[in-house]
Order: sequence, then C-alpha cells, then structure tokens
Amino acid sequence: MARPAVRTFALSKQFGATEALRDLDFEVGEGEVVGVLGPNGAGKTTLIRLLLGLLIPSSGRGEIFGLDCQHETVEAHRRIAYVAGEANLWPTLTAGETLHLLGRVQGRLDLAYRDELVDRFELDTSKKVRALSKGNRQKLALVAALMTRPDLLILDEPTSGLDPLMERAFRSCIDEARGRGQSVLLSSHILSEVEVLCDRIGILREGVLVEMGTLAEMRHLSALSVEATFDGAVPDLSQVPGVSMVSVQGSSMTCQVQGSVGPLLKALADVGVRELLSREPSLEELFLSHYGAGLTAQGDSGNAG
Amino acid sequence: MLADTRTDAARHVSTWPSTVILQVTSRKTVRSAVGWGVVFGLYTATQALAYASSYATPAARRLLVQEFGANTGISALVGPAIQIDTVPGFTAWKCLTVLAITAAVWGILTSTRMMRGEEDAGRWELLLAGRTTRRRSAAEALLAMAMGLVALLVTTGIITIAMGRSSKVGIGAGAALFFALAVVAGACMFTAIGALASQLSSTRRQAAGYASALLGVSYALRMVADSGTDLAWLRWATPLGWIEELQPLTRPNPLALVPIALLTAAAAAYTVYLAGRRDLGASVFPDRSSTAPHLRLLSGSVGLAFRLMRSMLIAWAASIIAYGLLLGSIAKSGGKIMTSTPSMRLVFARLGVTGAEAYLGFALLIMAMALNFVAAGQISATRAEESIGRLEYLLVRPLSRTRWLASRIVMAAGIVVLAGLLAGLSTWLGAAGEHAGVSFSSMVEAGLNIVPPALLLLGIGALVYGALPRLVTFATYGVLVWSLLVELTGGIVNVNHWILDTSAFHQMAAAPSAPIDWTTNAIMTAIGVAGALAGLVAFNLRDLKGE
Repeated sequence: MARPAVRTFALSKQFGATEALRDLDFEVGEGEVVGVLGPNGAGKTTLIRLLLGLLIPSSGRGEIFGLDCQHETVEAHRRIAYVAGEANLWPTLTAGETLHLLGRVQGRLDLAYRDELVDRFELDTSKKVRALSKGNRQKLALVAALMTRPDLLILDEPTSGLDPLMERAFRSCIDEARGRGQSVLLSSHILSEVEVLCDRIGILREGVLVEMGTLAEMRHLSALSVEATFDGAVPDLSQVPGVSMVSVQGSSMTCQVQGSVGPLLKALADVGVRELLSREPSLEELFLSHYGAGLTAQGDSGNAG
Repeated sequence: MLADTRTDAARHVSTWPSTVILQVTSRKTVRSAVGWGVVFGLYTATQALAYASSYATPAARRLLVQEFGANTGISALVGPAIQIDTVPGFTAWKCLTVLAITAAVWGILTSTRMMRGEEDAGRWELLLAGRTTRRRSAAEALLAMAMGLVALLVTTGIITIAMGRSSKVGIGAGAALFFALAVVAGACMFTAIGALASQLSSTRRQAAGYASALLGVSYALRMVADSGTDLAWLRWATPLGWIEELQPLTRPNPLALVPIALLTAAAAAYTVYLAGRRDLGASVFPDRSSTAPHLRLLSGSVGLAFRLMRSMLIAWAASIIAYGLLLGSIAKSGGKIMTSTPSMRLVFARLGVTGAEAYLGFALLIMAMALNFVAAGQISATRAEESIGRLEYLLVRPLSRTRWLASRIVMAAGIVVLAGLLAGLSTWLGAAGEHAGVSFSSMVEAGLNIVPPALLLLGIGALVYGALPRLVTFATYGVLVWSLLVELTGGIVNVNHWILDTSAFHQMAAAPSAPIDWTTNAIMTAIGVAGALAGLVAFNLRDLKGE
C-alpha cells in the first residue's frame, strides 16, 4: 500500500512560551498537491521545518513516506526537495556551481532536465550568486529543487520575488510534477497561486489547522457573496441573521451571508432593489472570513485576486 | 487602512534628521568603546598593583631585570623591557603592546562592521534612500567612530589616572593619560585603516582581512626591530613601533604622535574621497560578477568548506610561513642576547638547549596563539553557515547532521595540525639559513607540540556550538582571549597557579626550549575529542537556529 507523502501525528512545537504549532494532524497523499495558507506567524514555516528535521518537535512526530522526520532524515531526504522563501545561497559561488554542488549532495540528478529548467527559467549560470537579484536567487533555488525530480516537493512561499512570467513557468513545472505523480506541499499567502495549483488546502491559524479540504468543500463551508444596488437609500442590513461584513458605497452594498439566504431576501423584498448579484466567494474572501479584515495588510492578498 | 500606514511611514521618513548614520553608528561604537575602556583600564591597574606587591623590594626587582632585561624572546613578543625595576616601567612594558594590539583589533572590527557590514546588510540603503551623499555618510560614520575613540580614551584614562593615584603605584595624571593615549593610538590608526579597507573591498570579511594583514605586517616588523638585532630603526617603519616609541610612563616622546596622526588623517581623508567615487554596495577593487565554473572541490560539504575558506587558509598559511622564517632567522642573535648573562646561560645549559632554541621556545608561543585563532575561526565559520541560513540547503538533502558537523571538525583539526607542522618547518628553515644550530626533528616536534591547545579549543567550540549555538563565537573567542591574557601576564606577576592552569598555553611546554610534555598534550587532545563528541550529540538534539 502506498504510504502518504506527509503525515503528522499530534505534531507540536513550542518556542519558549510561544506555541508555534499545536497538535497538528495533517496528511499529504501520494501524488497530491496540498497548499497551506495562513498569515505570517501562523506556523506554516514551523510545520515545514519540522518535516525537514531542521526543528525538533516538542511532542508528536511527522513522517515522510513513512520515514520518521527526526530519526530517518537521510532516507527521507533522498526523496524530497525543498525551497525556502529566502534563497540564502553561497554568494561567492556561481549559479552553475551551486547547482552542481547541490546536485552532488543530493546524489540524484537529471542533467538534461536541469539544463531544460535553466533555459525555462532563463537563469544565467555563469553569474555569481552575489550578483543575482532576489528573484533570480529564488529561481536558482527552484531549479536546484526541481532538477532532482523528487517524489515530494516542499515549497515554503517559493515564488516570492518572481516576476509574473516566471511565476507562470513555476506553475507549469508544478503541474508537470503533478502529472508525473510527484507530491507537493506548498505554503503560501498568495491565494491565487494556491487556488490554481492545489488539490487540497489547509488553513493554519496561530499554530492550529482550522480548516482542511478541497476548494469545493471549503466553499461549501463558507459564505455567499452578495452585491445589491438600490433605487433609494441603502437600508441597514447588519442586523439580518447570517449577514456579515456589510459595506456600503453610494447606493450599492456588498455583504457575506452565512447559511440560508432566506432572511436577507426577505429584508430586501421590502425595499427597491435594482440589481442583485450573488457568487461563490473567492479564496481571498474565504481567507478573510477566517482571519478578519485586519490581517490583509500583511499578505500579498491585495494583488493576488 | 493600508494607505494610512503608508503616509505614516512617509511622514516618519521625512522627519528623520540627516545625521541618522552619525547617531546610529556613534551609539553602537561608544557603547562598545566604554566596555573595552573598562577592560583596558582594569587590566593596566591589575598589572601595576600586582607588580607593586609581588616585587616590593629592590632586590626582587633587580632579579626581574636580570631575568627579563635582556630576554629578546619576550621583548620580541611584547616590546623591550625598559626600567622594569620601576612600577611605571613595568606597567608600560606589560600593557602597552598587548593593549595597543587589542585596541587595533577592536578598531578594525568596529570600523569594518560599521562601514562595510552595515552597508552589506542593506541598512545604509534604508537610512540613506538618496537623502544624503555617500561622501557625507562616510564622513558621518568616521565622526561617529572618532566619538567612540574619545570614549575609549576617556574610560581608559579615568581608570589609569585613578590607578596612578594609589600610593603603591604613584603615576602622575599626565603620564597616565599619555599612556591611555598611546593605547588608543592603536585603535585610532586601525579604525581609519579598517574604514579605508571597507571602501576597497566588497565584503566585511575581505575588508577586515586586508586591515588585519597590515596589522600582522606591522607586528612582524616590530618583532624584528625588538629582537636585539641591529635593525632597531625598523621601529620607525611600523605603526606598532610608533606606539612603542611614544614610551609612555618611561621616557615620553610625543614626537611619535606625528606619524600616528598623519596616518590616521590620511586614511580617513582617503576613505571619504573613495566613498564618493563608488556606488553603494560596490567596492573599488573590482569584484567579478561572473566567472568560469570551478567544480573540482564542489562535490560535498567538505569540499565546499575548503572552497569557501580557500583564500583565508592561504592567507593564514602565508603568514605562518612568513613568521616562521622571520623568527627562525633572528633566533641566533636573539638567543645570544638571552644567554648573555651567566645565570641564564647556566639555566639553559642545564636544560640542554642552545640559545637559539631558548629563543624559539618563546617564538613558537606566538605560533600556538595563531593556531588558536585558526581554530576559533573554523568554529565561527561553522556557526555562520547555520546562522545565515545556508546550512539548511545542505541538511535538507541526504546529509546527516552528524556527518556534516563531524567532517567540519575533522577538517578543522587537520588544518590545525598542518598549520603546526608548517610553523615548525618554516621556523627550522629560517634558523637553518642562519646556521643557528636547531635540529630539524626538534622543530617538527615543536611544531606538533603547539597543536593540542588548538585541538582543545576546537573541542570546546564544538561542544558550545552543539549546545548553545548563539553563544559559540563569544565563548570560543572568550576562552581564547582569556588564555592569551593569563599567559601574557601570569608568567611574571605571581598569579595563583589555579588561574594559570586555566590557560591552555600555560599547560603547553615551551618546546624547543623545554622538553615536550606528551602526557599533557594527550590529555588536552582527549578533552578536545570528548568535547567534539558531546557537541555532535547535542547538535542532533536541537533546532537549527538563525541569528
């Protein structure tokens, strides 16, 4: 029987008094692409570093393809590749030297695929890492990870600093990886990226997995987005059961509805409604309903929709 | 809400005074200067007071003069012993060179950190944001460091003046202040040199390397000048020689302040000039941004470590060879002077060593210290890989923590052993060229004899790295500096032997002038190995930690 790519059992991590991750039970099936969303400090990076054996769990444990993350690291690491949000590579090595070194340390390397990736990401391999921009360093780290054709790719906010064109190249690489049956664990706060790439999505908040499911399941759990334009003044709808996040602009109003839309329709029936629009919420709105509006300023969510 | 934050930030920027670099830099520099001033002052006071009580009678002091007055080995290390039958003379002899060098190292580290380190980290970019010129920001940083130097002078001065007022010591306030000035002169020149090097090179490490190389050359020239040869005039050719020529507390010679002031002013002025001629983040010496690949070494973590440290290791090897040849070649004349008194001749004859071998016993002590610096550098480089975040790119691959750290430690130990052999061989070569009568095998053994203290330090460093990584650089250099200070001061002032025993250099026999103590060497090595093993275990049980 195939073992899941990632599996955690009540995985917890404390840094002093801070609880970074609490009793996390989490799974990435083989061949599955799973996204982990959450604002900064939610525990995404802690989860990934625990899986990589860079951090030691306070309690609980994690497995990669059935191999213990802490005690069977070498075997587990043969099957994975990792990209961090910040590519702190050796500044005096050239990009080509870096790829050579990391390929040798990995011990598993597809040279033709490496050259193809270098072309696709338009990487200048003769340049020293010191002379590369942040985006180019990130590309280098991505190529270093993808070139080993790992069974599991672990990506911690991998596209920070990439331009949109390169982001597209990255997405197609992930799609190909999925096509070949590779598993992917992707952490991000770029919602559109996760929305496009992932089979399942988990939402982390303050170290706890508050939500886990496919995009369709998550939508089901969440609210309906309603926009209405009125003939006259906008009535006060904030007291209507199930309605939240009401915002009024001139004669139009947007709000979220939890559960049945019945009460809202009843309230609207008494006033003159010129236009009524309802749609499934985007992942961004889903995100907002979990974290509240105050947290949007932190993420890149503003330009992600 | 987002927009609000932005305007807030903008407002904040516009209210920043344009002297922000001056403020930030001076705050950091002055704080560190006051701390070191206290150390310098207390060190001086301890030496003076300990001398006054250890050598209370004229007879005891005459004996000291007999023993050390003509000891060229020691005068090559710390400068000539002038008037050491008086408290001021002794204090100047024991403290001036040691403290001036420490102050110079402080100056190099401070100025390269403030001028290159801050720029590398991108902080200047944030502070500047096009609001002031590079020339002006360099001048501000220099001014801030001048404030630090004043703070160093004031703190050191106050403590030495207070010490001088003690009836046992009896040094006037003017003389005490001139002494403090002489110590700070070392910091002064090398702060300016470090600032200049920061303009010339593109990384902090490189800048500190250039400035340290100059300090090394300066020390080597002073050694030759103080080795009793007819090259005493060389003292005027080296910054450390000028400090010695100031002769505070004995025969003050303010004339030597002239070259000191000139060098400082010239280096500072050139720094400001160069700062205006280059881009932020760039350097004057060209820094190639792309090269042909060199893949030979890059097949694993050890090869990588070699590749990254290649230039540093070459620099160390070159300095060790240079010192070895230099010390070896002056060993004969130095030894002659050392054995010029009948009593000393008798002592060495009884030990069965020639004058040159007696001299080289002291000379290799310096090499032992250099080896310890190599070892400490290896430990802090190991930590840097982790704290900067590069280590994880290796450890997420099929490379175990144990294998990575163990290979780093073994590599470091190998480097230290090679450095010891190099020290012995080059010293022998220098001595053989002068027909000093030093045997090849005794110098090879003497070279190996200086290795165990460095292995001990490596083990301690590995243990602290495994258990408390954030403290490792501080702890490793702390142990090293402690051993240095104990060794440089303990031999003459009667320090409790328990304190003396804490210095690895004190445990080490002064081969070739004394027989090698292989048992002690084995014990030091064994403690080092045990420390390294414990460090490996601890490293596996902890989180990887950034800065």
